[in-house]
Amino acid sequence: MLEDILKNIVEMEEHEAINKAKEYLEGGGDPQKLLEVCRDAMGEVGKRFEQGEYFLSELILGGEIFKGIMEFTLPKIKSGSVQKIGKIVLGTVKEDVHNIGKDIFKVFAEASGFEVIDIGIDTPEEKFVEAVKEHKPDIVGMSCLITAGVTSMKKTVDKLKEAGLRDGIKIIIGGGRVDESVKEYAGADAWADDAAKGVRLCKQLLDWRVD
Amino acid sequence: MVSNAKELAEKRLARLMAAMNLEEPDKVPLAGVGGDIVPAYSGLSMYEYCYDSEKALKAMENFLKDFPCDWPFAASVSGLDGRVFNVAFSEFPDISINLTFITGPMHDVLGDKYYRYPGREISEDSSPQFIGGSFMEADEYDKLIEDPVKFIAETVLPRACRNLETPRKAMATMVRLGTEISKFNAMMMQTVGLMQELGYPAMALGGAYAPLDLIGDFLRGVENLLLDIRRYPDKVKAATEALVEPIMNYALAHKNIGATLAFIPLHLNEYLSPKLYKEFYWPTLKEVIVRLVNEGFKVMVFFEGRHDAHLETILELPKGWGVAYFEKTDVVKAKEVLKGHTCVMGGIPMGLIVGGTPAQIDEYVKNLLEKVKPGGGFILAPGVGTAPRETPVENIKALIEAVEKYG
Repeated sequence: MLEDILKNIVEMEEHEAINKAKEYLEGGGDPQKLLEVCRDAMGEVGKRFEQGEYFLSELILGGEIFKGIMEFTLPKIKSGSVQKIGKIVLGTVKEDVHNIGKDIFKVFAEASGFEVIDIGIDTPEEKFVEAVKEHKPDIVGMSCLITAGVTSMKKTVDKLKEAGLRDGIKIIIGGGRVDESVKEYAGADAWADDAAKGVRLCKQLLDWRVD
Repeated sequence: MVSNAKELAEKRLARLMAAMNLEEPDKVPLAGVGGDIVPAYSGLSMYEYCYDSEKALKAMENFLKDFPCDWPFAASVSGLDGRVFNVAFSEFPDISINLTFITGPMHDVLGDKYYRYPGREISEDSSPQFIGGSFMEADEYDKLIEDPVKFIAETVLPRACRNLETPRKAMATMVRLGTEISKFNAMMMQTVGLMQELGYPAMALGGAYAPLDLIGDFLRGVENLLLDIRRYPDKVKAATEALVEPIMNYALAHKNIGATLAFIPLHLNEYLSPKLYKEFYWPTLKEVIVRLVNEGFKVMVFFEGRHDAHLETILELPKGWGVAYFEKTDVVKAKEVLKGHTCVMGGIPMGLIVGGTPAQIDEYVKNLLEKVKPGGGFILAPGVGTAPRETPVENIKALIEAVEKYG
């Protein structure tokens, strides 16, 4: 059953995946195991994307299926019993009101076991600083779609430096208009222009973390 | 001065036309940067740039004087894409072509939920932004297919625009919209005058749209549409087919203003696998392009994001059809595939202009042009034309100088 669910998610068979997941739980299946299978499936979707077999539409659809199953699975799992691999504070930077890239990344990051604190769109530098102070994340993720967001990213990194918080975190920037030169300019640690690469790099950033 | 400007404009136009006609121009043409840096260079806020046409014109003049290029494609209009309105008015060609760009004042008049404007929903320094949204339910495809113009004009727009919610409100809104169109056209006339004075070719730009993008951007929203493709593939396909006629009516209406180049910005191209692209996106887009070419237009398509997976499909178009403007697709590879068939445009990553040094830019342009200049058929341009307001002006200068040297 779980194997079928995994296959259905990976093959983008939305109805089958959701119906079988419901059936599995109704038949007394272990929600924790279901969660793990869904995560594996999302990992496979991300892998296929990075190999060029899947495209953005599959990432988005995969995310929708995952969210659909989580809706009735997560309430059955005792809070606190899910192991998190790391914490990410995530937001679209100041003067940019787009959320699509941030939201796709968020689903994949959560599916990979990250705890994600989403601080929204058009996020002022100070709000990133506050969120880092409050949540003490391992990673800060900044998203932008428009080119103006590129300079907002730099300013946000600078503000985090000023606040003395830069050394304690890793920073990843993401979005359609970022690349290596934007990473250098903004002073981030990593960049990604798709969610699959973004999550893979976040896992690597955790390894570089100073414990 | 006047004759110099005229000569300069002719020279620049010849350069561009040679590239578009797949010939080798005297120099590689440069389509310059624009966007937020244009008002910032004159100390204007984005709000002023979007709402005060006199100040905006002055800012454009200052910028284009100091940062000359062959084609100031990205440094003019400060409006956002309004193709859903073009379709809604497609039975009235004289009106339809005026709504390709929804300006800040038009946005205020419509009270639409598609756009965010500086000094309105977002801060005065922010760029105007397109958000889109979902204004059609999944079970309404049959209505869209049956009569797309009726459904969009009478059902979608009253949902998407607060000031079109009722027929009464719509009456006043349309009168006000007409006033704003007049003001916009007056500004465009002044812009054309300014361009001529500064020695830029006056090219009237037409427009069209990919039918699937119209559904994604203005009717269903991108996420919903991507789910619809899986859930109701036949209906989505039929809807794209139904939209071809109204989009063509809008596109061909530009004949009346003497436009010979039609611009189509794409959006969902990089979202789709080759299989989905060839099934849901490309057939109707291709039909629109081919019909425009048959009517004597050149077409310029902006392939947003990475178009690598679909590059070969461009070869299905008639040779010399127009310009393929790439954002993140490697233009060297694209030119290899498309040479002798399609003019390739793009090549400069905006990150380099924002964050690089003049020396890095010089080096980059030199290397790139070495590869793409031979044989012609190439227009150098930033991958996206909008430069942030903090873009170092010495970098824009460096780009212009590098093209002078190596173009």
